[in-house]
Amino acid sequence: MAHQAHAYHMVDPSPWPLTGAIAALLLTSGTAVWFHFHSLTLLTMGNILLLLTMYQWWRDIIREGTFQGHHTPPVQKGLRYGMILFITSEVFFFLGFFWAFYHSSLAPSPELGGCWPPTGIITLDPFEVPLLNTAVLLASGVTVTWAHHSIMEGERKQTVQALTLTILLGFYFTFLQGMEYYEAPFTIADGVYGSTFFVATGFHGLHVIIGSTFLAICLLRQIQYHFTSEHHFGFEAAAWYWHFVDVVWLFLYVSIYWWGS
Amino acid sequence: MYYKLNAVTQRLIKSAPSAYNPQGLRITVPTELPPMIFATPTKYVSEAGNMVEYLGHNKVPDLQKLFQKSDGVPVHLKGGLMDKMLYRTTMALTIGETLYCLMAADACDQLPPLQGSSRILYHSD
Repeated sequence: MAHQAHAYHMVDPSPWPLTGAIAALLLTSGTAVWFHFHSLTLLTMGNILLLLTMYQWWRDIIREGTFQGHHTPPVQKGLRYGMILFITSEVFFFLGFFWAFYHSSLAPSPELGGCWPPTGIITLDPFEVPLLNTAVLLASGVTVTWAHHSIMEGERKQTVQALTLTILLGFYFTFLQGMEYYEAPFTIADGVYGSTFFVATGFHGLHVIIGSTFLAICLLRQIQYHFTSEHHFGFEAAAWYWHFVDVVWLFLYVSIYWWGS
Repeated sequence: MYYKLNAVTQRLIKSAPSAYNPQGLRITVPTELPPMIFATPTKYVSEAGNMVEYLGHNKVPDLQKLFQKSDGVPVHLKGGLMDKMLYRTTMALTIGETLYCLMAADACDQLPPLQGSSRILYHSD
């Protein structure tokens, strides 16, 4: 087998971009079919294909990096740029929903009663569960930083403990937010207040679940000795994403829960 | 260590050194420890290294050997039979579901126009 004379990664041919694209086709057409014809078949099949694609594609990346050594410093630099660009795109995604919120709340229309919160809306007390949620996410930011320092210092047991604690805090946030959703005195259908509240916090909650899953994968990899004290980019990417989720919550809390109440 | 024969049990038993026991000599703990035989083998902490198998042992070197074999197999199939099965299932679903999607789209195309809508049906001529 010829050996490469450069530090870059020439990837093996892979079927996962195709299966991922087909999954996207099925998810979009499946959503349309669900809306118009009340059938969940296409949507379910799309979700299964998406999960299979994600599992195998990311499994292959772990093989290429950890087992085949393809993630040299220049390659890792590219991965870092990639993750930063992705998180930046997510920032813009949330920016849109914050724009919508401020558009409606800074100049409330007469239909809302000319005030914010709109007439008839009973808001959630920002100093109850939302404040607890803020504390939970801030604490999880501390524990994920503790986990990072433990990895860098080669402390295996402490890394596992800190990562586990971070994931548990993430689950606790999701549980608390779920309870809040259940108990809320308003729904997504309650005018623009309901729409902006549940779409913004709902997408944030989805990102918390994604971030918790990413951290859980990192925990499994840490247990299986994938990370070294010098090279653990997968964990760093998960930690960046987690900090992003935390920051979005802080903006949500200050804007929607506190100022908006 | 001194031994004497116990006439009752006909066995050698340990005895104090009566041959030489000067006054003032304190019987100390023997400097040489008898060899210890463990029922279950243990490792000295110094031998085990940084962490004595906390949550399983390191399989990464073995996996590195497996995935660095020069056999020309692409990475998505290099893990063995499970890889092949998972790949075939995924591709079967991909092709099958694409065909299902096209059939569903075709079925939507065959539907009559909704009442009150100006939806145009495409004619084959």
